[in-house]
Order: sequence, then C-alpha cells, then structure tokens
Amino acid sequence: MSFEKLKIVCFVCNWAFGEQELATSSMRKVADVNVVRVMCIGRIDPIIVLETFIKGVDGVLLVGCAPPDCHFVEGNVYAELTVNVLKRLFVLASLEPERLELRWVSPIEEVEFAKIIEDFAGQIEKLGLSPLAREKRDINILENVLAAKNAVTDFRLRALIGKEKELTMGMNAYGERISREEFNALLDEVVKTEFIRHKILLLAKKKPSSVKEMAKILNMKPAIVLRHILNMRRKGRIALDSIEGRTPLYKDVEVY
Amino acid sequence: MATTTNARVTRKLPPCRAACPAHVNVQGYVSLIQKGKFKEAVELIRKEMPFPAICGRVCFSPCEDACARINLDQAVAIRALKRIVADIEQEQGRVKTEPIPKTHTEKVAIIGAGPAGLTTAYELAKLGYPVTVFERMPEPGGMMRYCIPDFRLEKFVVANEIAYIKDTGVEIKTGVEFGKDITLETLWNESYKAIFVAVGMQLSRKMNVPGEDLEGVFHVIEFLKAISLGKRIDVSERVAVIGGGNSAMDAARTSKKLGAKEVMILYRRTRNEMPALPHEIEAAEREGITFHFLVAPKRVIGENGKVTAIECLRMRLGEPDKSGRRRPIPISFSEHQYKVDSVIPAIGWWGGTPEKSCIPTKLLDEKARGSIIPVDPVTMETKILGVYAGGDIVTGPSSIIEAIGAGKRAAVSIHRYLTGRDLKTGREEIEEITWVKDWKSLKKKQCRYETPIEKPRLSFEEVTRFLEDAKRKAMFEAFRCIGCGSCAECLAEIGLCEIDKPIINDDLCTGCNICASICPFGAISKNEKGVAQIDEELCKGCGICAAHCPENAITMERLTNERILNYALAGFGG
Repeated sequence: MSFEKLKIVCFVCNWAFGEQELATSSMRKVADVNVVRVMCIGRIDPIIVLETFIKGVDGVLLVGCAPPDCHFVEGNVYAELTVNVLKRLFVLASLEPERLELRWVSPIEEVEFAKIIEDFAGQIEKLGLSPLAREKRDINILENVLAAKNAVTDFRLRALIGKEKELTMGMNAYGERISREEFNALLDEVVKTEFIRHKILLLAKKKPSSVKEMAKILNMKPAIVLRHILNMRRKGRIALDSIEGRTPLYKDVEVY
Repeated sequence: MATTTNARVTRKLPPCRAACPAHVNVQGYVSLIQKGKFKEAVELIRKEMPFPAICGRVCFSPCEDACARINLDQAVAIRALKRIVADIEQEQGRVKTEPIPKTHTEKVAIIGAGPAGLTTAYELAKLGYPVTVFERMPEPGGMMRYCIPDFRLEKFVVANEIAYIKDTGVEIKTGVEFGKDITLETLWNESYKAIFVAVGMQLSRKMNVPGEDLEGVFHVIEFLKAISLGKRIDVSERVAVIGGGNSAMDAARTSKKLGAKEVMILYRRTRNEMPALPHEIEAAEREGITFHFLVAPKRVIGENGKVTAIECLRMRLGEPDKSGRRRPIPISFSEHQYKVDSVIPAIGWWGGTPEKSCIPTKLLDEKARGSIIPVDPVTMETKILGVYAGGDIVTGPSSIIEAIGAGKRAAVSIHRYLTGRDLKTGREEIEEITWVKDWKSLKKKQCRYETPIEKPRLSFEEVTRFLEDAKRKAMFEAFRCIGCGSCAECLAEIGLCEIDKPIINDDLCTGCNICASICPFGAISKNEKGVAQIDEELCKGCGICAAHCPENAITMERLTNERILNYALAGFGG
C-alpha cells in the first residue's frame, strides 16, 4: 500500500489561541495540517466545510472558544448548530460524521493546541483516507456531498440555522415557542427533504429525466419523488422539459 | 488627538471606558495585553492619563464595576492588568521621552501638584503649552505621595510617574505656597494667561466629640502625612481607628506595622456598607486587625491629658440615605468603652472651615461653609475669567481617578479658552454606552478566579517582581474581556487591527431579518427599503452574519468564503 498523508484542515478562532501557540503546533507525521484562523468559529460557513471535503480533505477540525467565553458573545452557539446540521448531512451522504469535529477551548485555560490536533489526527487515522480523496473517487458519495453543499447553500437550511435561537428562545409570530426537541425533529426532517430535493435537482440537471428513472437511482418510491418534484415546481426550481411518450421529463431551472 | 475627552458625544463607549472618570481606553489596552503588546498598552493608557502605575495600584476601579463580563462570571481584573503593564515597563526601563515642543506661547500656571494639577499640566504640555506647576510641599504628588502608605503605593512609583510628566516638558516648582508666595495677582503680573487651582483638601474631618484634642488622638491625614514625611509617631499598644474607608484601613495597617499590639476599626455601619475596597478590607483582616461594627464614638476619655479609652454608642441601621447606604441610628443607653492608647479618626477629610484660607474669597462659594470652589461641572471654569479649578477642592474628598478626569476637562477648557473658542460646544457628558447583549439567554458560570493576579504581600516593601509568569497570567486574564465596545475602541486606533467588514448585496437581500437577529452586537438593522444595513460603529467584523445569510447576500470584505477556502486548501497541492 502506497502511504499517503492525510490532509486535515483546522479552523481556529482568532481568540481561542495566541499567535505563538498556533505557530508552535507540532504536526504528526501521518498528517498534513493546514491551520486557518478566522475571526470567530461562527464565521465558518457550512459551504466552506463541504467544499473542503469535495476538494479531497480527510478531516476538518473546528476549534472555538468554549461557551460562554466567545468573544462575540454567541458565535460558538451558531458554530455548534452548523456542525449539527453538517453531521446530519454527512450521515445522509454516507460520509463518516467523525471526519468533522468541533472542539471547545477556553481562551483562559492552558490547553496545548498541538495536543488537540494530534488527538484529531489520531481519530482521522483510524478512518483512513476520505472516500473523496482516494485514487478512485467514490462518485456516489461525491454526488451526495455536492447535493449536501447545494442544500446548505440554499435558503431553507440556512434560515433554519439562523432562526434557531429566535424559535427556541423567543416566540414566533403566533406567540408560540418551539422546544429544543421539536426543533431538532424539525431540523432532521428539513435536512432530509432538502438533501433529497437537491439530489433530485442534480439528477435533473445532468439530463432531463422522468420520475421513475429518478426514483430508481435514488432508491425511493416514485410517489415521494413526485411529491418533491411537484413541490419544487411550485417554487419554480424544476420545470417540465418535454413529454416522452406518456412520461413527462423534468429539468432543472437555473435560479440565479 | 489626545485631549478630546468628552468631546466625543457621537461615539458610543464601552461600559468600562464610560464609567472611568478619565475615560481611559480600557478595552483598547486590554486587547493589546491579549496580544502581548505590553509596551503599547502603557502608551495607550498614557494617551489618556499620566498615572498608569499609580492607578494600577490604588484606583477604586469604577471600570471593573461596570464591566459587562460580570454577567458571565466576574469582571475582568482591569486594575491588576494596568498595574502589570506599568510594572513591566518599569522593570524593562522606560524610554526617556523627548520634551514636547512648545507650539503655544501662552503660559499656564497650575497650583497644586496633585493628581488633578499634574494631569492638567501633562495634557497641556502635550498640546504644546509652557506649563508651570507650583507645589507647597517639598515633593510633588499631593495626596498620592503623602497620604497613601508605602505598602499600597511606594514613593518611587509616584516619583517615576512624575518624572515622566517632567520629561514631557512640565516645570514643577516645589516649596511655593499659594496665598503666601504667590497669589492670583502676582501670577497675572508674571504674564500667566490661565490658572488652574487644584490645591486639594488636606484637612481631616473632626469627630466633634469631647476629648478630641487629647494627646493620642491623631487625625488620619496628619497621621499618614507624618509617616510619609518620615516622622516617628508613637501609637502605643492599643489603637482604635474610626471609620470604614480606605484611609481607615491604611491608618489601621500602618499602626499595626508601627508596632501596635491591638488595632481595632470602629465603624458605625456594617461591613456591607464599608466604602473601602474589598481587598483592602481583606488585607486588613489578614493582618490581624479587628473590626467592630455598628459603633460610633461618643467621647474620648483621657487621664492627665492622655487618651485611655474611647466611649462608644451602639447603632442600628435605619432607612437608606442619599448615598443609598442605610443610615445608622444610635441606640440610647448603649454606651460602652474600649480601652485604647490612641485614637485615629478617619472619617473623611472634609475641610470644615477654610482655616488655611489660601484661596481668594472671590473664588469661594458664599453659601457653602467649607472651602469649596464652585465651578461649571463640564468646563471647570470658576467665577473669574481665566481661572479654573478641579480636584478635591471642587468636589470635596474624592478619588484619584476623579481628580484625573477633572484635570483632563480643565485642560480642554484652558486650551479652548487660550485659542479663543467656545468652552461648551460639543462637550456634553457622555450618556450613551455601547449596546450590551441581553445576557439572560446565557448561562452564568462559576467564578474561575478568586484572586486572578497576586496581590502585594504584607510588608512595607511592595511586591514588584513580576515574572514571565505574571505576563502569561495577564494575557489569560485579558482574554476574558469580551470586548463589548465598538470595534474602533480597540486596536484600530493605533493601527494594529485588521478589521473585517461585511458588505451587503442589496439585490440579493430579501430582508429576512436573520442577520439582524444573529448579530451579537445588534449592528444590523433594516433600512427604509427593507434591506439590511450595517452600523459600522457597532460591527466588529466577526462574520457570523456572512456565514448564516440564507441568500448569501453578505460577504466579508477581507476574509471571504473563497479566501478561507484558499487558505484551507493551500499547501495540499492539487
């Protein structure tokens, strides 16, 4: 087996570690670690994380300030939410969710940055190369991750992450409050539907295809796929391309 | 420009800076300490006031009371941080500053070299005025030098700070008494164009009880001053200190160090109402000083003209008074005696009668009995044109930092007066402080530190040797600052910060309001078109809005998503 180094990206909050501490971080021989400082770990857009995986990175580690030490009061809360959503998407995309990790570090405690990285490198070592980084990329998973990336780029999931605090802490327009459990159930459902819809969109983008074809590829009931398609047609995301015999073929609509 | 305090009405200040009477840029130097830039931190403090080392030791730190971190666990130890940076500078040796060139010809006279007078002198010297400070005592420093004992503030610290002020080009003449050697008239004749009166109040308040003039009663200011001047005072074995302020603690601790066997503090309220700083009270307790609460002196009993005992009344607490503390009410027939050899009344230093009437009567308030000069609270101008006053002589006994604040205001006024501008325009008091988060949603956590940074040991010599360890501790402590002020507060002012800025694409924004609810600092609001708008004063460039905008309408100016990705993938090749 030809030995290949693991690629790890580590996003670190500007405030969690001093500059010297980051500079002195020793790296394990097995892994290449890229450390990127961001102003706040809440700055990490889910798109960025998925994009790094698409580009063939084996693991992504986010290091932020432990609550409630966030320099921006609650940036870490949003980071946690983002990671939650991403992990759900990873499961759907059949990529190991352990490849993404969020670590809390309190800026006022003495923790060695190198230690955190080594721990994480050990974790990734067990998992091995990412299916997207191997010599022969797993096309299925790649498509899944692409769909996931599109899903997090889209309005619905991002809005839900952004609204989490408002919904679970405050009230909605009708004076109701959603409990954390309800919200999590809602998040599960939305992540799932968004993921499937974006997979459908990807399929439709490749070539106009019928419901049955898509259902076969997706391994789902045609009725459910049809329901998703109708829903998206209402929103103008998907359109009728042509009718082949008696079967309508659908195509993707460019939104922007 | 440095001397612009309270001209900034439009800018919102972080709570610490707004609470400080001198408006020292607290958030700024704390963030510099975070980065390990201790030297720059001292320079930043010096921009606002000339006494970092003194305030780092004895300031009553209104900034810490205002600190927003209190909502999470406990306030950042701002005073200790200030002290550490000042000590590090002293340890490494200060670079001697060049005298600031004189750009103005108008001479300014300052009477009294206490904190108020020296601050005014410093601020005016920075503006380029020739300034002369007249001081009655042999050494400048005022109360800071003469009335704070060595174990809290060593003399060389004061001397160092004053040396810095002298380096900037301030002339200090000691041994000149106002009202005797110089008067307002002689100063006008010597072509001084403006005069700042900051003579302070160096008289102890009397207890007004029988037996107060017995041998063995030392009033606190005279007592501390005598010690500072190196006189030997025999306090004998048993000492009663009356009062609960910092001076009382100082007097008690000094007496103990002078060899008194038993020192007790008699205070008429309870411990909760004591005005002394908590750590000073703790220090006094550690040194074995006993406290008697809810007692007030009725008379001092003497034999052969010497104190033998003090008779006290028990008190109970009544309704809160103007200061918000509960008023003590005497309980009749509760007289009891403590056997003591000396009594130190430390009940403030209000000059009851202007017996040392060095101040011309024209300046004085006819109504008030004491020697208080009435001034405009914002401009510090007195009834005589060109004469300004500040410090204790205006406010009554107060703190160093208040005096510094007054001195800064007076310096602005004098500068405006000498350049022929209006004194008042744009100088309203700062009302608005920065928006501070609604903290209820966050869980409060336990205090991590009881004593974040080591306090001085119990001896006359002060602990000054701060090691590398102290630096690291200071950095960790500074990291606790949540930086609740606006972004311009911190490093940007000295060009050390790389601020990021969100840019909103108006065409993409749908006005969903998520960014507004997500922003930790409330910097985003919707404008009349329904599009999000960023208040640049509040924005601190964290980028959380950009990461969560559902329409991807917000991008950061510097650290865009693409940039982050490029950094993340750089060096992997392919």
